[in-house]
Amino acid sequence: MKPGVYSALALALALACHYRRSVVPEIFEKSLRAFLIGYPKRCPPVSHSSIARAEGESVGESLEKMASGFLTHQQKVLRLYKKALRHLESWCIFRDKYRFYACMLRARFDENKDEKDMVKATMMLKSGEEEFWANQHPQPYIFPDSPGGTSYERYECFKVPDWCLDYWHPTEKAMYPDYFAKREQWKKLRDQSWDREVKQLQVETPVDGLKTEALPPARKEGDLPPLWWQYVTRPRERPM
Amino acid sequence: MHSPTLIFSSTLLIIFILLTYPLIVSLNPSPLNKKWATTHVKTAVQTAFYASLLPLAVFFDQGMEVITTNWHWMNIATFDINISFKFDQYSIIFTPVALYVTWSILEFASWYMHSDPNMNRFFKYLLLFLIAMITLVTANNMFQLFIGWEGVGIMSFLLIGWWYGRADANTAALQAVIYNRVGDIGLILSMAWFAMNMNTWEIQQMFASSQDNQATLPLMGLILAATGKSAQFGLHPWLPSAMEGPTPVSALLHSSTMVVAGIFLLIRLHPLMEHNQVALTTCLCLGATTTLFTAACALTQNDIKKIVAFSTSSQLGLMMVTIGLNQPQLAFLHICTHAFFKAMLFLCSGSIIHSLNDEQDIRKMGGLHTMLPLTSTCLTIGSLALTGMPFLSGFFSKDAIIEALNTSHLNAWALTLTLIATSFTAVYSFRVIFFASMGSPRFLPLSPLNENNPTVINPIKRLAWGSILAGLFITSNFLPAKTPIMTMPMTLKLSALLVTALGLLMALELTSLTNKQLKITPTIPLHNFSNMLGYFPSIIHRLAPKIKLSLGQAMATHLIDQTWLEKVGPKGITTSQIPLIKATNSIQQGLIKTYLTIFFLTTTLSILLITLI
Repeated sequence: MKPGVYSALALALALACHYRRSVVPEIFEKSLRAFLIGYPKRCPPVSHSSIARAEGESVGESLEKMASGFLTHQQKVLRLYKKALRHLESWCIFRDKYRFYACMLRARFDENKDEKDMVKATMMLKSGEEEFWANQHPQPYIFPDSPGGTSYERYECFKVPDWCLDYWHPTEKAMYPDYFAKREQWKKLRDQSWDREVKQLQVETPVDGLKTEALPPARKEGDLPPLWWQYVTRPRERPM
Repeated sequence: MHSPTLIFSSTLLIIFILLTYPLIVSLNPSPLNKKWATTHVKTAVQTAFYASLLPLAVFFDQGMEVITTNWHWMNIATFDINISFKFDQYSIIFTPVALYVTWSILEFASWYMHSDPNMNRFFKYLLLFLIAMITLVTANNMFQLFIGWEGVGIMSFLLIGWWYGRADANTAALQAVIYNRVGDIGLILSMAWFAMNMNTWEIQQMFASSQDNQATLPLMGLILAATGKSAQFGLHPWLPSAMEGPTPVSALLHSSTMVVAGIFLLIRLHPLMEHNQVALTTCLCLGATTTLFTAACALTQNDIKKIVAFSTSSQLGLMMVTIGLNQPQLAFLHICTHAFFKAMLFLCSGSIIHSLNDEQDIRKMGGLHTMLPLTSTCLTIGSLALTGMPFLSGFFSKDAIIEALNTSHLNAWALTLTLIATSFTAVYSFRVIFFASMGSPRFLPLSPLNENNPTVINPIKRLAWGSILAGLFITSNFLPAKTPIMTMPMTLKLSALLVTALGLLMALELTSLTNKQLKITPTIPLHNFSNMLGYFPSIIHRLAPKIKLSLGQAMATHLIDQTWLEKVGPKGITTSQIPLIKATNSIQQGLIKTYLTIFFLTTTLSILLITLI
C-alpha cells in the first residue's frame, strides 16, 4: 500500500476514533486498528537490555533484526533447546531425574556449539528437530495461564472495556463521584493528546511498512506515549 | 386415606416445591442478596434431602411404591399424556442420594466459586439441573422423561461453558450437546415407535403390551440414547472434554447424576429388554469395550480431572455391562454407591486445584498428604471405594457385578475385558494418589494451601461417610428381585479382589520404575495411543465434519449442475443419441446416385399406394 493511502486511512481512523461513540467492541477495535495503522496493542516502553530474549541470546540481537521475519541460526537452536527442555520436564516428572537428563541434553548441545560450517550446523539442527518431533510428549506441561492451559482466557468474559463506564446511569455514577470526576479529566487529556499521538505514529511509521508491533515511547517533552489510553484503561488480568 | 400413602405422596411433592421455590424467588426483578446462593439454594436442597428420607424409610420398612398421576395434560381419545410420577424403588433411593450429593457439592461450590461475580446464577443453574434430573428419575411416562432428559442436556451445556470467554470451554459445551443430540435421535426413535405400536408413553402400559412383541428397533434406539448420554464408546469424547467446566459442575453432572441418566433409562425400561437377547448382548459388548477403552486412556492422562472423568466413563461401561447381564438392580446399586465416591474424588481434586492456584496437572503436585491431610485421606478413601476395597461402598456393588459376570453364561471376551478394566482401575487410582499426595512437593512454595475452611471440609467428610456406609446401608435394606448366585468356585469369588490386587502390585512396580527413571521416554506408541485417547477424537472430529462438508459442497455445486445439465439435460440427450447416430452414419456416406434412385423409387411407390388405396 502506498504511504499516502496508509496515512489517509490512519487519519480517517483517528477522526473516527475521536468522534466515536464506540459501539465497536474492543476486540474488533483492536484488530481494526492493527489492520489499518499497524499498532495492535500498547507494549510498555522497552530498552535494549530488557528486550525479551531467548535463553542466552546476545544483547546484539536488536528489535529490528528480530522483526525481519527470519530467524537466525542461533535463535533456532535456542528455541529447540528450550522446547526440548520443556518436553523433557513433561516426561521426567521428578526433579532430580529431570536435572540429570537436562544436563545430558545440555552436554549434547554444548558438544557441537563451536561448529563453524553452517551447512553441517543446519543439518544437525534439522536432525535435532526430527529427534524432538519423534520424542515429544503428547500432552506437554502447559502453565495454567498460558495459551492452551486450563485457566487461559477463563476470565475473559468478565473483562469489560472502559467505554462501558460512560453508559452508567447518573445514580450509579454518583456512587463513585471522585472516580468519575477524575475520569472526566483523563478523558480531556486524552482528547488533547490524541492528535499529537497520531502525528507521532505517522511520522515514525517507516515508508515501506512496519517492522515491529511494539509502540514507540514519547519523544517530545510534555507528550504522552502513543495509544496510552488503551494501555491505561486495559482490564485487569484477574477481573474481580 | 391410608396415612403412609399420604405421607409418601405429599413428601415427594413437597420436595419439588422446596426445590422450585428458590427459582421462583430469583425471578423477582430486584437484585439478589450476595448470600442468596448459600442461604436459599443450599438450604433448600438440604431440607429437600431431609424430607426425602421419610419416603425412603417408609419404603425400606414397608416396601411401598407409589405412582401418582397429577394432571391430565394432553389427552386425546386415543393417546394420553399426563403429569405422573413413579416413586418406585429406583427413584425413592436415587432421590435422597442425589440430594445428599448435591447438598455437599453446593456447600463446596460456595467456597470454590466464591470469587465469581455470578455465583448466584451458578447456583441457580445447578438447582435447575437438579430439578430436571429429579423429573427424569421420577417420570412415569416417556414425555416427562424426555423433558428431564433435555433439561439436563441444556444445563450441562450452560454449565460446561460457564467461563464462556474461553474458547476451549465453548468447544467442549458444543461437543457435549452434539454428542447428546446423536443419542437423542435414538430416544426420539424409540418414543415414536412406542407411540405408534403400543399407543402409549406410559411405562406401565408399555410393559404390559410388550409381553408378546419383542421388537429390537426401539431397544436399539434406547441403547443409542444411553450411549450418547452415558458416554459409551463411540459417543464418549464429550465426557473428558466436559472437564472444562468448574469442578462443582464436573462433580455433580459428569460423575454422579447426569451421566447416569442413560443407564437409568435402560434400568427403568428393563422389562422391555429382559428377553431380547440382541439388546442384552449389545449392552454387554458395548459396556465391556467402553470400560476397557476408557480405563486404558486414563492410565497416561496428566490432568487430575481428566483421570477422574475417564474413571467415571469406565464405571459407566461397567454399569452397561451389568444391564447386559440382566441385572438392573445391581446396576442401580452401582449408580448410587458410585455417586458418593466419585463426587468425593472430584471435590478432593477441586480442593487440591484451588489450593494450588488452578494447577490441574499431577506432574506439578506432590507431597500433599502433609499439607492437605484430610483431602488426601478422602482421596484415598474414594479411590479404595472405587477399586472395590472390601466393605467400603463400592465393594457391595462392584463385587456383586463381577460375581454375576463370572457366573453368567456369556462370551468370555466381555468377561476378560471387564476384568482387565478392573485391574486398570486400581492402576490409575494409585497413580493419582502417588502423584498427588505422596512424595515431595513439585509445586510453587508460596501456594495458599489450607484446609481451615469448614465449607470445604464438611462436604468432603459427609461424602466420605457416604462412601464408607452407603453400600452397606442400601444393600441391607434393598430386596433383590433376582436371586444372586451364592455358590461358585473360590477363584471366581475372589476374582475381583485378585485382579485389583494384581493391578495395584503392577502400579507399585511401575511407580518404583518411574522413581528410578532409567530412560527418558516410555514405549512411545503405546503411551501415545493411551494419551491421545486412542486417536478417536483426533480422527473422528476431523473426519466426520470433513465428510459432511465435502458432501454438502458436492451437493451444492456438482450435483445440481451434473444432474440437470449433464445426466438429464442436454448432455444426457447427446449421450443417448450418439449411438443411434453412429449406427445410421454408415448409410449417409455420400452415395448420391443411390440416394436419388431410392428417392425416386420411394416416391413412385408411395404415389402408387396412395392412388390405389
